Parts: sequence; C-alpha cells; structure tokens
Amino acid sequence: MSEHEQLNERDREQVEERHEHGAEHYRKVYLTLLVLLVLSVAGPFLGIVWVTLITAFGIALVKANLVIQNFMHLRWEKRLVKWVLISSLVLMALFVAGVAPDVMRHEGQNWVNVAAADAVDRGIEDEHAEEEEHAEEGTAVTVADPDAFDAVGQFNLICATCHGSAGDGNGAAGAALDPRPANFTDPAFWETRDDERIKTAIRDGGAAVGGSPLMAPWGVLFDDAQLDTLVEYVKAFRPAGQ
Amino acid sequence: MVEATVEVWHAQHEVHEHHGPQGVLKYLWSTDHKVISMQYLFTGMFMAVVGGFMAYVFRMQLAFPGSSVPGFGIVSPGEYNSLVTNHGSIMIFWVAMPVLIAAFGNFLIPLMIGADDMVFPRINRLSFQVFFISALVILGSLFVEGGGFGGAWTAYPPLSAKGVYNQTPLGATLWLIGVALEFVAFLLGGINFITTLMNARAPGMKAYDIPMVCWMIVIASILFMLSVGPLIAGAVMLLFDQTLGTGFYDPAMGGDPVLWQHLFWFFGHPEVYVVMLPAIGITIDIVATFARKKLFGYKLMLYTTVATGVLSFFVWAHHQFISGIDPRMANVFMVTTLLISVPIAELMFVIIATLYGGSIRLATPMLWALAFIAEFLIGGVTGIFLGASGADIYFHDTYFVLAHFHYTFFPIAIIGTFAALTYWFPKMFGKMMSDKLGKIHFWGTIIPFNFIFIPLFVLGMGGQHRRIYNYQHFPDLAGADFQRLRIIATVALLVMLAFQLVFFYNFIRSLLRGEKAPKNPWNANTLEWTTESPPPHGNWPPDQMPKVYRGPYEYGRPDRESDFWPQDEPA
Amino acid sequence: MSAKPIATTRSATGIPTGRLAVWWLLASEVVIFGGLLGSYIMHRVGHPEWAEAAAHTQVWFGAFNTLVLLTSSFTAVLAHQAAESGQGKKAAKFLVMTMGGALTFLLVKSIEWTIEISHGYTITTNTFWSFYYTAAGLHGLHVIAGAIIMGFIAVDAWRGRELQRVELIGIYWHFVDLVWIFLFPLLYIAK
Repeated sequence: MSEHEQLNERDREQVEERHEHGAEHYRKVYLTLLVLLVLSVAGPFLGIVWVTLITAFGIALVKANLVIQNFMHLRWEKRLVKWVLISSLVLMALFVAGVAPDVMRHEGQNWVNVAAADAVDRGIEDEHAEEEEHAEEGTAVTVADPDAFDAVGQFNLICATCHGSAGDGNGAAGAALDPRPANFTDPAFWETRDDERIKTAIRDGGAAVGGSPLMAPWGVLFDDAQLDTLVEYVKAFRPAGQ
Repeated sequence: MVEATVEVWHAQHEVHEHHGPQGVLKYLWSTDHKVISMQYLFTGMFMAVVGGFMAYVFRMQLAFPGSSVPGFGIVSPGEYNSLVTNHGSIMIFWVAMPVLIAAFGNFLIPLMIGADDMVFPRINRLSFQVFFISALVILGSLFVEGGGFGGAWTAYPPLSAKGVYNQTPLGATLWLIGVALEFVAFLLGGINFITTLMNARAPGMKAYDIPMVCWMIVIASILFMLSVGPLIAGAVMLLFDQTLGTGFYDPAMGGDPVLWQHLFWFFGHPEVYVVMLPAIGITIDIVATFARKKLFGYKLMLYTTVATGVLSFFVWAHHQFISGIDPRMANVFMVTTLLISVPIAELMFVIIATLYGGSIRLATPMLWALAFIAEFLIGGVTGIFLGASGADIYFHDTYFVLAHFHYTFFPIAIIGTFAALTYWFPKMFGKMMSDKLGKIHFWGTIIPFNFIFIPLFVLGMGGQHRRIYNYQHFPDLAGADFQRLRIIATVALLVMLAFQLVFFYNFIRSLLRGEKAPKNPWNANTLEWTTESPPPHGNWPPDQMPKVYRGPYEYGRPDRESDFWPQDEPA
Repeated sequence: MSAKPIATTRSATGIPTGRLAVWWLLASEVVIFGGLLGSYIMHRVGHPEWAEAAAHTQVWFGAFNTLVLLTSSFTAVLAHQAAESGQGKKAAKFLVMTMGGALTFLLVKSIEWTIEISHGYTITTNTFWSFYYTAAGLHGLHVIAGAIIMGFIAVDAWRGRELQRVELIGIYWHFVDLVWIFLFPLLYIAK
C-alpha cells in the first residue's frame, strides 16, 4: 500500500532530522533549562515585585516552550497536534476571562462579596500587626474565638429567612408559606410554648411537636448547649410583660 | 522509529489468529467493540428504567401530594430532593451519554469506517469497566445512610459541600465519586473514538466520506474532553470541601461558591451539545436512508457543527444569569446564547431540505427521526426566551426551564435512542423488529410526551418554581387549576411508561423469534450494511476489508437505476 | 492475546495512532490542570492577604524538585532516542533513571510536606494551603501513575518489544514536567 510506504518515508525523514539534533542537542536544551531554573530562583532575591513576576513566569514560559518543542518534538510534529494544544490553551484563557470578573474581584455592578472583602482587610491588618507571631505558629487568621457560639449570627443565617430577623414571622421566604412561620413577638405564641417545646422544635422539626413539617429539623447543626443558647435568643423576642 | 513502524507492520500478520476469549468470559472480558457497545447499551437501558422509576415516584408525589406512591411509599421532602437529583444525574450521565456515545459510537464507528475494531481495544474494555463501577457507585449511593444525594444534579455549594445542609453527606460524596468515575470512563472512551476516526479509516475514505453520525460522535467526544477538565478540578475541590473541611467554595474561608457554578457550567453547557450531536447525527443518517435522497449539504452541516461546538464554549453563564454574576457579563453571554441558536437552526433546516423532494418511507426509524426534529424545535425555540437575560429573571428556576430542557433532552436521549435502535437493531442482533409494534410504541410515546411537558410550560409561566416537593404549601401555586395540570402531566407519564412495555416486548420477541435480518434490510449505503448481521469478530474477513469509492449519501441519483450506491462498490 | 487489530496499523493522518492518542490525552489534561490552576490564580490575585501563608512554602525544596524533574525529562528523551535506533536495553536503562527521578521527586515532596504539616500547615489551615496541597497532590498522582506505566514499558523495552511506546510515555512524562514548571513559580516563587 503506497499510503503506508509514504508513511515510512516520512518517518525516515523525520528520524534523520532528529538524529541531526541528537543527544548533543538535548544536552544543550537541558543545560539551558538548568540555567533558567537558577535565574528564576535568583529573581526574587532582588526584591522587586515586577522582576520576580517576570523571571518566575516569563522563565516558566520559556522553559515550557523548550520542553514542548524539543523534548516533546512539537517542532517536528504535524500541524494538527499544534492546533489541538492551542485550542485547549485558548479554552483555558476563555475560562479565566469569563470567571475572573466574579471570582477575582470582590465587587462589581450591584454586588459586593462581603466575606471576601472582609477576609482581605483582616489579612492585611494582621500582616502588619502580627507577622512575627504567626511566623512561628503558622495558624490560620481568624477573627473571633472559634469556640464561642454566635447565636445571633446563626439565627440570622438560618432562622431569619422564614422567621425574620425581628422574629416576627416576616422573613422573605416565610411570606410564601402556609401556615406562616411562627411570630415570636405575638403574645399568643407564648401562651402555648415552653423552653422544652421550642428546643424540640428546633432540634427535631415542627412535625415532632405537632406543628407544620415546614419547620425543618436543625438538630444536626447544634449541640445541646448551643440549642439552649438559641432558645434563650428566641425568648428574647417575647414582648415585655409576658 | 523506523524499526518500531516495521514491528507494528508485522503485528498485522498476527491478525489472522484473532480469536476472542471463549464462553461466558467472552462477554465479560471481550475487547470486541461490538460486545463492549452491548455492555454500554444494556447498562444504559437498565439505568433508564431506574431514572424513569424515579420520575414516576416524584411525579406521583407532585400530583397527589402526601399520598403513598405504589411501589415506593410516602415521599418525604428529603427523598423528593434525592429523587429529582438522581433522576437528572442518571439520565444525563448514565443513560444519554453511554447509550448515544459509548454504545452507538462503539458499535458504529469501526463498522462505518471499515475497520475491524477500535484502535485501542483494551482501553475500550477498561473504559466500560470504569463506567460500570461508576454505575455501581451511583446506585449504591441511593442505599447508604441518609439516602442518595439531594442537592440537585448541579450540586451547588454550600448545599453540596456541607452535609449539615444537604442532610445526605455520604450520598453526596458517593455521587461525586460516581460522576468523577463516569468522566474518566468517557475520557478514555473519547480518546478511542477520536483516534480511530482520525486514523483507522478504510483506504479511499476521505474526511468527507465519513457518515455524519461518526463525525457527530467524535466532535461530541472532542467537546467533552476539552470541557470536562475544569469540572474535574472543581469536583476534586468539592470532594475536599465535603470530606476534609477545606473552604474552596466557602466565602468565610476565602473561597467562592460562584466559582463552582462557573466550573460546573463551563462543562455543563458543552455537555448538552455532547449529547445533542450524536442524536442529530443519527437523525441525519436515518433521514437520508428513508428519504432516499442525498444529504442536502454535507460540508455545510459539518462546518456548522464545528461552529456550534466552538460557540458552545462561549455561552455557559446563561445558566447563572440571576446567581449574582456581574450583569455586564450577563449581557455578553446573552448575545452568544442567542447567536448559537442560529447554527443549530441551520442544522434543522439542512435536515428538512434533505427531506424536501425525497421519496419518503415512513418506517419506524423514520418516524422517530421526524419526531426528533419536531420536538427538538419546540425545545430549541423555548430556549430563546431563556437566553434573553431579562426574561430569564422571571423564568429561571421555574418549570419553564424544566419543560425547555425536557423538550431538548427527551428528543436527544429517548427519541434519538429509539431511532437508532430501531434502525440498527437488524445489524446489531441479526433479526428484524416488528414494524407494527414499533409504530404502536412510537405513538404511545410521542403523544403522551407532549401531554407531560406542555402543562409544565404553563405551570412555569405561572411561576411554579423547581425542586419543591409539595406545592400545597404555596398559596399562589396551590390552586385547583394548577393542580389539574400537574395531574395531567403525571397521568400522561403513566401512559407513556406503560407503552414502553410494548418496546420491551418487541425487543425481546424480535431477539428470540424475529425474522432473520439480511445484510442490508434498508438498502443503505454505509459500510456497516456490507457485512453480516450481526457482524462477525473482526467485522470482515481480514483479506476482504472494504475500500471506499464515494461518500455515504449517494441516494436517489437520477443517472443510476438503483436508488442507492454503497460506498464500497467500485465505480 | 495481544494481536493488534488492523485498525491500529492504519494512519490516515500520518501521525502514528499511539502518539495521536497521547496528544489528545494531554489536551484533556491541560484543561484539567488549567481549570485548577486558573481557579487558584484568580483566588490568589483576589486575596493578597494569602501572601502571609504563602511565605511559608520552601523554595529550596521546590527548586530541587524542579531540577529533579528537568533531569528526568532529559533522561526520558534520551530513552526515546535509544528506542528510535532500536536499542531496547539502553532505552530501558534511561527509563529506569527517569523513574528514579520520579521516586526522588516523591521522596523530597513527602519530606517537604511532613515538615510543613508538623508546623501546622495542613490542607485546611487556610485556602492557600488547600490549593497548595490539592494542586501539588494532583500533580503527584500523575507522577505516580506515569512512573508505574513507565515501569511496564521499560520491561517491554528491555525485551526489545513495543519500542514505539517509549516515545509515548516520554511525551506524557514531559507534560508532567511542564505542569511542575508552572506550579513551581505559582506556589514557591511568585507567591
């Protein structure tokens, strides 16, 4: 089959081409790579951010190109392969371009990523204030004592969606429900409630206390002591004089 | 290098002793592409029954909330979430992809290009084994403590990352592992399809002589391979969030949940084209055969498909219009989304133009192909509303979206599968299916299908949001007129499911007692019809491998007496 | 039963099928690592306060490992050259040297990680460290997989069989080196 004879011919040519650049060529490329490695490690010692970035990534690109062209023989490879690789790189650039506006930035038109902006601010403060301490322990930067239970925060995060942050049953999601979520500011609510019932409702859900199954069980989130704290917080909504 | 090539050449002479393993092991351990395709096909069909059962259960719950569902029991809210999550995941990853791409790709590609097998038969076998394990994992996830994952097939964190939120921590991790294994299986399979099509064609088969279904499956594989990477990375990160407590998607720990959305949909959108292209390819080949007419524009179709594939990478954030992405990005994605409807519409027009003036035979496969076009058009057109970001503010997460994607996915996965099965059954199994039973099954599927999903469009426009287990809790949606629509949809589903029994009966009866199939019952041109039904191991005798002299769609040429012209017939 | 199908011997593109397959595999790996590293870069640029955590990665470990991988790429390409001229045993020897490089890399990494973990920098310490361990870990898995497959190919090469595969595992290995060439500045230098 002449098609295959042609293939053999092409291979022979390619083999000869490569033998011209044989072990000697590979050795040169290898030594170049080593030199570049040394440069990239030395870069940061100058302390200039831009120099560091250029030596680090610029050299990485050069090294990568050397490896791809010479060791992986892309320089002698058919165009098809080059197109496949370029497509995958272009797609990665596209991915980053489409995602960066949301993930790399922390605010934009009509939105702010509060948590991320806070983390950045915290981090920068700590960097200046506590650098030496952290150098020894390497602990994560935290704000409050992780052991303290933030009942207010948990209520606002989980309960307020239905019960409202004012505990009046007017949370955004609550408006769509039937029956409506309990209103903790209504005296009538407190006539038939005691601590135990409220705690059970939070832990095991509304159905467990003869109420609506729309009140979900949250027991997996809180231990006993935390439940008690939450019950106390709910009781704080009770109108005075009851 | 020269010696290596020569060595490979010598291997060719060993081909004469090409036996598969014998006995039962033959089927479990075979590397024959046809056996592997059957393995994928039957696994996919089994998973379709599982996914269909899940649909039955949750639609019964929606129509008759709180009642015990026959064959399941009372549906709790957690179970409902698990059912809809796994229904979606199973139908996409364990039904549509394995049947359309792996089963038909495996069966058809070597046969249609005149090869004796895939170029990497052992990697082919490995890909099925990995896929099978992934199916076991996802099925297993349904029975662990807490039940199957209930965070939607899109698995957005923090719901999917924290067990305390999704209440199915073990199921969530197993779901993720199952999906990841399925991805690995299709990466392995994809490499096989792509390199086989590119390299192993019969002598004389130029690029434009390749049947469209092969192109479509391979382009789909390329789309898959290039889009799934970021999601694999994202899945590893989600797995660590779930099991190790990292914070990749937790803003309090410096992560970002929107990142997952982008990673997911960067894959998720090309994924729908990954399943769509094979279905369109199947439709094209069937239409050409049963209209006895040359495909209207082969190159046009090919380049349009490539354009669709490329453009499919630029539209992903239309799934995220109201999730808090920058509104200026929403504008960009709206434009690209509306743009992509153009090449797809063009594909539809090419098929219709092929039909025009043809000598149409309404055999069962043709009915399915025609139904694909009609139903997919409805799906595509309703997608335009969703692509407009302003309208999507209302429509997002309503049943309008759900009806849209069922009007696209159902034609793709179900209609496409039945079209391919009824067309290639004679080649695959050596028997003819009953055309009469096929038609009964066809109408019993198509008519109820529309009665399921048109009510859902209406409900969606009325504001019914998705993933709610009981609409009686929402006064605006609990009215009797809405409930009536839900009941209509559910009853239609029951009718449709009942008619699938006709298909199973036809399938099994034809296998056991069907009329023996000739080599080429449909008088088609492509190479698979030149060998026995079913083809032997190696597809053709090694000294009689076909050579190709023309394209695959030379039907109805006025200058010839016969209305078809097989590709391997010398001029 | 390793008789190859006729399909494997054809090459309509002119590129041997095995090599074509390896390039497609690499394309899919580029998007996997690209997605991961792209996500890391976007987070890192948006969180300058991670510099504090990142300061604790150890440049000399990273640089030494870069040296190891570059050298192993060199021996891999020498293995390919030997295989090209049919010298199976020589190719196998170079492959074994490459595997030695892989082992060294993994050993150095384990020491490095042990030091870091004992200082309290675990995968959950903060998200910088999560990315660090995940990216380097995924890379490490590819090193392990590559070394194992290389072992099988080296055994075959020693026996003078399937020499064309030496080039293929070499291309994969160079890719593994390439990923590290980018990980090194990302995690160790320009942090």
